[in-house]
Amino acid sequence: MIYALIALGYTMVYGVLEFINFAHGEVFTIGGFIGATFLIWVGVDDGTPLYAKVLYLAAGFAISVVLTAGLGWLLERVAYRPLRGASRIIPLLSAIGASIFLQNMVIVIFGSQPVIMPTAVIPSGFVSLMGVRVRVLAIGIIVLSIMLMVGLTYLLKATRIGKAMRATSQDREAAEMMGIETNRTISFTFVVGSALAAVGGVLVAMYYGSLKFDTGFLYGLKAFTAAVLGGIGNIPGAVTGALVLGLVENYGVGLTLGWLAGLVAVGLAVGLYIQLWRAPNKRIAILAADGRAEEYRERILRLYRLAPYHAVKTVLTERRDAVLRLTARHAVRLTLGNVFLSGMLVAFVLNAGYQFSSKWQHAISFIVLMLVLMFRPSGILGEHIQEKV
Amino acid sequence: MSRIRNTSNAPALPWIPRWMLALAALLAAAAFPLLVEYGVIQTVWIRVGTRALVYVLLAVGLNLIMGETGMLNLGYIAFFAIGAYTTALFSSPRFGFEVPFWPLLVMSAGLAMLAGYLVGLPSLRLRGDYLAIVTLAFGEVTRYTFNNWESVTNGPGGIPGIYRPTVFGYLVERPIEFYYLILVFVVLAVLLVANLKNSRVGRAWNALREDEIAAEAAGIHGMRAKMVALVISAAIAGVAGSLFAYYQQFINPTYFVFMQSVIIVCMIVLGGLGSIPGAVLGAVVLDSLPEFTRQSFSSWLPAIFGRDFMAGWPDFLRTFFLDFDQYRMLIVGLVIVVMVIFRPEGLIPDALWRREVHQEDPREQEHTLQTLFDIEEGKQDLEV
Amino acid sequence: MFSKRMSSRVAAILVAALLLATMGLIGCAEPEEVEEPEVSERETVKVGVHTSLTGGLADYGFAAREGIKLAAEDFSGFVVDGVEYDIELVILDDKGEPAESPVVAQNLVDQGVVGVIGALTSGNTNAALPIYEEAVIPMISGSATLPDITEEGFDVFFRTCLRDDLQGAALGEWVIELGFERAVVMDDRGDYAVGLGNEVQATLEAGGVEVLREEGQEGDTDFSAQVANMRAFDPDVAIFTGYHREAGLVRKQMVEAGMADVQFMGGDGIKSDEIVDEAGGVENADGMLSTFSGFSPDDMPGFSEFADRFEEATGRPAGPYAENNYDALGALITAIVDAQSFEGADIIAALHEIEYQGVMGSFGFNEIGDIEAPDKTGIDLIPRFELKGDTWEYIG
Repeated sequence: MIYALIALGYTMVYGVLEFINFAHGEVFTIGGFIGATFLIWVGVDDGTPLYAKVLYLAAGFAISVVLTAGLGWLLERVAYRPLRGASRIIPLLSAIGASIFLQNMVIVIFGSQPVIMPTAVIPSGFVSLMGVRVRVLAIGIIVLSIMLMVGLTYLLKATRIGKAMRATSQDREAAEMMGIETNRTISFTFVVGSALAAVGGVLVAMYYGSLKFDTGFLYGLKAFTAAVLGGIGNIPGAVTGALVLGLVENYGVGLTLGWLAGLVAVGLAVGLYIQLWRAPNKRIAILAADGRAEEYRERILRLYRLAPYHAVKTVLTERRDAVLRLTARHAVRLTLGNVFLSGMLVAFVLNAGYQFSSKWQHAISFIVLMLVLMFRPSGILGEHIQEKV
Repeated sequence: MSRIRNTSNAPALPWIPRWMLALAALLAAAAFPLLVEYGVIQTVWIRVGTRALVYVLLAVGLNLIMGETGMLNLGYIAFFAIGAYTTALFSSPRFGFEVPFWPLLVMSAGLAMLAGYLVGLPSLRLRGDYLAIVTLAFGEVTRYTFNNWESVTNGPGGIPGIYRPTVFGYLVERPIEFYYLILVFVVLAVLLVANLKNSRVGRAWNALREDEIAAEAAGIHGMRAKMVALVISAAIAGVAGSLFAYYQQFINPTYFVFMQSVIIVCMIVLGGLGSIPGAVLGAVVLDSLPEFTRQSFSSWLPAIFGRDFMAGWPDFLRTFFLDFDQYRMLIVGLVIVVMVIFRPEGLIPDALWRREVHQEDPREQEHTLQTLFDIEEGKQDLEV
Repeated sequence: MFSKRMSSRVAAILVAALLLATMGLIGCAEPEEVEEPEVSERETVKVGVHTSLTGGLADYGFAAREGIKLAAEDFSGFVVDGVEYDIELVILDDKGEPAESPVVAQNLVDQGVVGVIGALTSGNTNAALPIYEEAVIPMISGSATLPDITEEGFDVFFRTCLRDDLQGAALGEWVIELGFERAVVMDDRGDYAVGLGNEVQATLEAGGVEVLREEGQEGDTDFSAQVANMRAFDPDVAIFTGYHREAGLVRKQMVEAGMADVQFMGGDGIKSDEIVDEAGGVENADGMLSTFSGFSPDDMPGFSEFADRFEEATGRPAGPYAENNYDALGALITAIVDAQSFEGADIIAALHEIEYQGVMGSFGFNEIGDIEAPDKTGIDLIPRFELKGDTWEYIG
């Protein structure tokens, strides 16, 4: 469920900026470190009365949220804003740099040893839910996540700043013309995303009892997987994705290969068919839409200026024959794909008894990530943003 | 609009031709071991140099997909790992195979290419940032596979005792011999990439990088061109992996962690995306800087200025330089952010990238063009 | 246009501020001591220390370095051919990266060290060994426990720690002795943990114990999948062969899943005081059992004195393998004195013959470079510890 909190941060930033905030996992770690360090610093122990514990914990969350939100703001201001409008790859590089920088900053400030959360502030009770022992804290985390999700949805749908965020994500320039201060809106997005990450960080430190400088990296990746799985840019999607990922991780390990083979093969087959049928259609649509041909002509000419040697010899209308040829080739590939898939299915079924050892746990989640990105990048609940060409 | 063509493809240092600079760099690289042979600097520099050359190979290879084609690859180390493991498995006591150097080199490169092809097939059509994440996942899955597949790779224990290669009947054994062997491959890779860059497919890559849809509409088969880039760069990484395994004589999965992929990306960003000399410079600087700092502050500078030359320095400066290793990644992260903000074209920029990143505001561009038209048609006077 | 320029200027200022902040922070970090060899009339001889002071195992590297420093104080002033020699340590950090290890090794060779103490991990030892072998410089590691290393036929390698296969067998035998019938063996996919885990599993299976093998990843925090599998298996005992951080988390999550009564055991990786906090307090951690890959305190008469000195010198309790590293340098110097020579081949010959008496007691090396005690052999060498309250106590 914690994945959900972090995934929300990714999703929000992506929704507004179409940009993967690679440093988000590090922001999460720092949030956790700040909260835990504060609680160690005030010296909570078993002797502290309950009301003081609650107070300290609330203060820990508050300080962590404020400082981490400030960090998020700073990050956007320093590392991302100057790059707005640059091509896609460049802000991503900056984000990777920021991620490395922050991770090593944690080492320099807090050391490479894990920070241990004082056990006194961690609720240790259990409740029995349908015969399963569940930690009170786990229920608390789930409730908190749902509350935050509802709050966030409300924020986006019903408030002024939420409207501004949605407008900014639709079309930044138009939003600016309508009098929305897009820069402020984007900063706000980062602040909210980082604050959520801070809450997640403190909760993780509480749930597992400790936090290490590199914890955030894996969590960030998993949360990103969750966000993509549910459909990036989509808030209920992030939560759904987090749940699905959690289930896959915990129960995927116990699955036998036969089961997995079925799932993978069906997924692959569906994905491949969709891809193969959609791709040529898309291309035809692009080329056949005469109304838009002018736009492409413009873009081709721009390209022509950037790369002067590359002579653009072909006129757009001549491309239609080529499109037909392409479609024929795709049909051939479809057949080949079928043969390949059937072969794989047979191979898997022959080994169906093999049970996955838990050493493949992460490998499985990474494979899920790859498959989702490759075959259904819009996720389970669909992408919030429309594709911009 | 197309009347004004920006044809400036000028080198970074206009007064010296680029090929001369390249030749000078090559000569310097070739002469560098002589310094060690004649005892000017210590043998460790051969090791640093050799490792730097391996990274140069990787940086040049990655540059092909990242710089030329604009696809961010965060799992490039996986191809390196595949090359290294192929060599380690077929030329070590592990299974008793001893495949000769050339066939094994081709095998290593071939398997890396195959992996590139298979991973590229479904993923190359993705958007840039998604592609980056897919490659990251691929890199990690590859490492987990090598770490978990104990019956073949010996898992985390790694493969020791990789045999020395025999190249053209000559047993390559000393570090200096490895240095020259790898240098030869670096030169070959640079020549290959430089030629590709100016070939038809190279221009297709650049076009795809600038605007994929427009490029495809203009008749470039995007998928095929990208696949060529990916497969070639995977082959370069495979060769690098093979040479590295021969040189180190031992490999285990911890060589191939995600951070290594990131470091190679950093090398290219530092040197300049799409620029071959940039990739070379970035790799050499980032790889040898820690050792350079260590040597400078622990032996060279004390030898010149006396042992206590840092006595008067503030504490944090002393700590910083003496324990540079601890801050290396911190600096790397900072450098990347600073570079992409203030000099996104890198230290030695590629002409095309420079134009790309320092694009003028479209409105202003239009204005400039309009002014130029006006001047041409005599409507406006040239301001002096 | 105006706003764009402004924002880049603001960015410039912020970046500059950040740089300054970084510098400041670095300044705040604890400054490392600079090695200042004493100026004396006597000759000095260089000994290399090849360890990992940064990276994931930095605390092990710290303990090793401090142990070696103590040894350097004690053993300075040894006499070869009538000349008194002081030890100058050349301490280099391989950052825990195997690609850095050969560079460190070459650097030490260049500086003309007569012997090397290290490397810290088995992987880095393997990566550096070809270089020391070629230069014929004896290398004594206090913590590289992977069995393969001494089996690879390198002449220069010795170690003052016991091998993982020995410890694994001892751990397995202990489980059988305790009468457990269903065991979970779990590792963290690191080279140390997997090797040890395989050995434990093999011993248990040979002894008729039913084994479930589970595996996590080093650096993970959530082991709920593994714990769920364990619960389904319903074991009597869980043996974690990795390091204390993950072990603590596994233990904590086992208790939370209602498996508090399952005995928790591990190798030397879990024998750390930090595991108490990491497992969520004394009530979770109490009663853990562990083996260790050094000698037992009974066989180490000098250990308590050494531990006191270590704490006095560093302000921290004697860390893991500190005494093994101390004795590694001690054995090297003793061999040099025995051989009356600084030649690598002579020292290596002397090391094979040595009968050394140090913090760990008396020991020698066998023909492949593994440590050998005079009176005990095999798994009897491996000491057993129990976590009572928040301290590890030796129980035989």
